Amino acid sequence: MVIIINCFNIQLPPTISVKCVTIDFNIVSTEECIVEVSLTTNADLIILGKKEKMNDYTFGIKELDNIVDGLTKGKNIMLIGPPMSGKEIVLYNIMYYGASKNDNGIITVTTREPATHILDWFKEHNLDLPMSRIGIIDCLTKTIGSNEVENDNIKITNSPVDLTGIGVKISQFLDEFYMKKNIRKNQLHINSLSTLLMYSNIQTVFRFLHVFTGRIKGAGALGIFVLESGMHDDKDINTLKQLFDGIIEIKSETDKNFIRVIGLSHKPTPWFHYEIEGANIKMVE
Amino acid sequence: MVETGIPKLDEFLGGEIPEGKSLVYYIQPGVEGEVFGLQTVYTELKNGRTVVFVVSSSSPNSIKGQFAQFGWDIELFKNNFFLVDAYNSLIKAPSKEKYVVSNPENIEDLSKIIMDVMKELPKSTIVFGSLSTIIDLCGEKETIEAIKNWNKYAILYDHAMIYNFTAWPYSQETLDSIKNVLFNAVIAVGGIADRVIFGQYFWILKSDWIKESRKSMLKSDWTKKSRKSMLFRVSRPGGITLFIPKILITGAYSAGKSTFLHAISTQAVSVDRLGTTVALDRGHVEHKGFSAEIFGTSGQERFTPIIKLLSGESMGVFLILDSSNTKDFIQAKEMLQITKSYGLPYIVIANKQDLPGALTPEEIRKHLDLAKDIPVVPTVAKDKIGIFEAFEILLEKITGGM
Repeated sequence: MVIIINCFNIQLPPTISVKCVTIDFNIVSTEECIVEVSLTTNADLIILGKKEKMNDYTFGIKELDNIVDGLTKGKNIMLIGPPMSGKEIVLYNIMYYGASKNDNGIITVTTREPATHILDWFKEHNLDLPMSRIGIIDCLTKTIGSNEVENDNIKITNSPVDLTGIGVKISQFLDEFYMKKNIRKNQLHINSLSTLLMYSNIQTVFRFLHVFTGRIKGAGALGIFVLESGMHDDKDINTLKQLFDGIIEIKSETDKNFIRVIGLSHKPTPWFHYEIEGANIKMVE
Repeated sequence: MVETGIPKLDEFLGGEIPEGKSLVYYIQPGVEGEVFGLQTVYTELKNGRTVVFVVSSSSPNSIKGQFAQFGWDIELFKNNFFLVDAYNSLIKAPSKEKYVVSNPENIEDLSKIIMDVMKELPKSTIVFGSLSTIIDLCGEKETIEAIKNWNKYAILYDHAMIYNFTAWPYSQETLDSIKNVLFNAVIAVGGIADRVIFGQYFWILKSDWIKESRKSMLKSDWTKKSRKSMLFRVSRPGGITLFIPKILITGAYSAGKSTFLHAISTQAVSVDRLGTTVALDRGHVEHKGFSAEIFGTSGQERFTPIIKLLSGESMGVFLILDSSNTKDFIQAKEMLQITKSYGLPYIVIANKQDLPGALTPEEIRKHLDLAKDIPVVPTVAKDKIGIFEAFEILLEKITGGM
């Protein structure tokens, strides 16, 4: 007797003319898939399955995801680029793909836009975020004197100076996602370090990042930290770079925007020329 | 009398903080520790003392909102509550406060205002909302020198100094002097972390005014595993409440365990069948600055393995007896053996005191051959008589009450 367990619904070649049993089951872990089957004697077992290469985290930008093979757990990445180059859209793409496609929890610290504006952006572009996986820490609302209130998705800190408060709220979301909601893959996005650096000096921000990049590693999460290029000393940027495993770099040349990734594959990816189309990052040949 | 207002902490500190002394909450980053300072501010205002709050990381207005979140109306005390605004100038915003630091990045500017406050105001409790922010803005060495000065003048003018400090990775020298040198008392506020922080605790790292005899008591008590530190939660409203993750209720069949649990709980669920508990009861209690999760087991013998399972991680046990039903005492004794073998603090609840033939607590003590230090508390759970007294007595045993 031949039993075939076709784990992944693989198309069988027509030459195999045995009865095929297809079992539907959920794969709990993407890392490995263990199937336990006990058999009576004289039986052969064939398990058809392929282990697909699954990354824990993706950028949601196909061209980059295809080249970068190292977006595994515990990585901290700097996203650096000039103003008006679409960094935010790149970040929102990472956010959307993380939450919707990879089922990750997303914690965003925003110092540039109120939390509700971020959520509105996704609504305007008809991108459906799974709200149970979204946490936004709004450092702006109180500074501009707006009266927004906290809810399940939004926590409000006193000010961008209050790194202690920001840290507490990051920990609270991480605890909630990891322990209470059992979401094991989480992304922390900070947009942006440039604002934090306007209010606190480089040593202070470095200490804060030192603690939280460490937490990212410990929790097997992904950290994306946005930095405005052209605003800071090279010395400061180099100091901060020590904390990161990789860099998503954006540059603008004669009205064209380019993106590449450094440090996550054996050599930097080539520069890709891209354009923003609605909510999408479109590569231009 | 100066108090922190944190449940149990004042007791551990010998009842009060003497005037002229300094205390720092030494907080691990990511742990909600700054509430400690806020709770101290509010407690001191309620005690009728003059309180000064030094605001460094947010505007005075949002601080007022923060107090409101905990249900603490500080407007009631505006005659003896003063804010030192060391924030608004930083973002170039105007300030309405009497004491404003013109340049919060300059330690001398800040020090000048602090000295003014110390000289002008009567004996006060001066609370620094975020010492770490001051260090970030003014530098490590500069701030440490200033703290020495402030604490010295506090002795001179009889002020009590309380600091919130988040222990970011500053130089070892700075961290050491904050932990060991600069302050009379250090309260560590930390997180239980595996991959994420999922529980929060505090404990006394140092306190130089507790008498030697008391200190040795503290030490012997606190070195016991379960008493080393107090777990806490932050409630809104409410502030810091001490948290006991697991208290077990056990006892013989029909002793009134579920009734007791439901009477004491603010929220509870039971798995009942035909009027008796078949699996377990679960309740949550909030009482006098404590919150606790309570688990009740079935009294039926076939569920004894569950008791063993639950006992393992409990922090304390209520053993419930039907005082009028001596023949079930044998089973109760067996259950006692199980909990005893885990070395858990427990108390005996002499329930159903209203029934004819109910034994008195002393008679029960004899019957069960209980040691003198095991409290036997008379209750009528169905009428909520004696149950909160029982809860407080068990908490005393769990928290090493003195």
